[in-house]
Amino acid sequence: MADKAKIVIIGAGTGGTIVANKLNKIVKKKAEITVIDPEFKHIYQPGYLFQIVGRETEEGLIRDGTKLLPKRSKKIRAAVDKVDLEKQVVHTNDGQEVPYDYLIIASGSRLVPQKLEWWNDQIHQFYTPQGAAKVYDQLKDMTEGTIVVSIASMPYKCPPAPLEAALLIDDYLRRKKIRDKFNVVFTSPINRAFSIETVNTIVQPLMEKRGIDVRTFFNVDEVDTEEKVLYSLEGEEVDYDLLIMIPPHEAQPFIVKSGIPHEEGGWVIVDRETLKVEGYDNVYAIGDTTNLPISKAGSTAHNQAPIIAKNILASIKNSNKIYKYDGHVQCFFITEIGKSLFVDFNYTRPPYPGKPSRRHWWFKLAFKELYYRFVAKGIV
Amino acid sequence: MVEVAKVVDARGSFCPGPLMELIRALKSVEVGQAVEVYSEDQGSLKDIPAWAEKAGHKLVEIKDYGEYRGFIVEKGEKKRRRKKE
Repeated sequence: MADKAKIVIIGAGTGGTIVANKLNKIVKKKAEITVIDPEFKHIYQPGYLFQIVGRETEEGLIRDGTKLLPKRSKKIRAAVDKVDLEKQVVHTNDGQEVPYDYLIIASGSRLVPQKLEWWNDQIHQFYTPQGAAKVYDQLKDMTEGTIVVSIASMPYKCPPAPLEAALLIDDYLRRKKIRDKFNVVFTSPINRAFSIETVNTIVQPLMEKRGIDVRTFFNVDEVDTEEKVLYSLEGEEVDYDLLIMIPPHEAQPFIVKSGIPHEEGGWVIVDRETLKVEGYDNVYAIGDTTNLPISKAGSTAHNQAPIIAKNILASIKNSNKIYKYDGHVQCFFITEIGKSLFVDFNYTRPPYPGKPSRRHWWFKLAFKELYYRFVAKGIV
Repeated sequence: MVEVAKVVDARGSFCPGPLMELIRALKSVEVGQAVEVYSEDQGSLKDIPAWAEKAGHKLVEIKDYGEYRGFIVEKGEKKRRRKKE
């Protein structure tokens, strides 16, 4: 290894940014950090939920990603074409070759609606700022009808988001005093509204109490956007006026192309505690891109970042010390404007979120600023 | 005896992983063929039989391999019907 260890991070989203900042604080002059990202456009994604009910704007969510990263880190504005794991080099689409001693794959997940032959722009989604804005454009002009929130396939980012969307739409219609003119339908691929049972026991009854028609074991087969009918593999069909669907997700294509160990969908196989990529001591993955059976969410990446940073520092110092991630995830689950649950769990401890509270709502509301000032910068 | 056309090892995956693996695998076999999914998740004992019944597939057998179970599900005819032709 040269005098300074070369640490390369692919992706400047939540995981890549936080881990770059955590590393910068502890490795100091022992390493040089390079971050590769095609855009360096940092988006506060929890804000999409506020966008769909007209309480947030696209501009409000986006920051210049280069300004959130350590000043002394090198930023390469390019997409990754391939990683040569044996030669330890990252190849970018524009022909640059970036050598590394340590690699962190933080390339997140991407939406792949094109995998569904029937998907078209009449099906709305709120997992991009533009998509979320379009949902609000549709919603604000509706005076009656059926609104369906559905999940095309699993896994997808932020498991509570579609349930929160249904609850927020219900809340929005109530505030406009037109809720009685609407049916709000939520479809879930499994036998309950939410995958974690201890959270579902609170949320599903709440949805039903609010008149949301929860359809379980509803695996989307096809959508007929001309007739406006959603069909399930289980033989059900739902007519709709506005369909909001979580599109399928996959990892970035360079993972499969590079032969990085992965599962179907390109999700990188990592050790659930060390976060090392299977078979490689100097390659890590963080956040959405891993195959871990926990939420693809910002807080997951936030909790993983210090583990990876400390393991890399230990390796640079030739220490045998190993730091372990315990599966910790926490999130605020909005149930209505003004109330939120706090969901906190790890690999061995399920969440017991209690009742929706105002306190957690205020924290959720304040979190965007806290995120940009402290969390993304690795301060907390 | 029904032909097991595909075996899916979903051990190490927990709810809803094994069920999602089964759903994916059934899409790739013909009606009358079966998929066996291995699962060590207790939730599968409830989820898989209930889903198979709702979706019109037949749960042929639940094999006990000790540490895990094998759920053999035979693909049924598609239940979907077009509302408007």
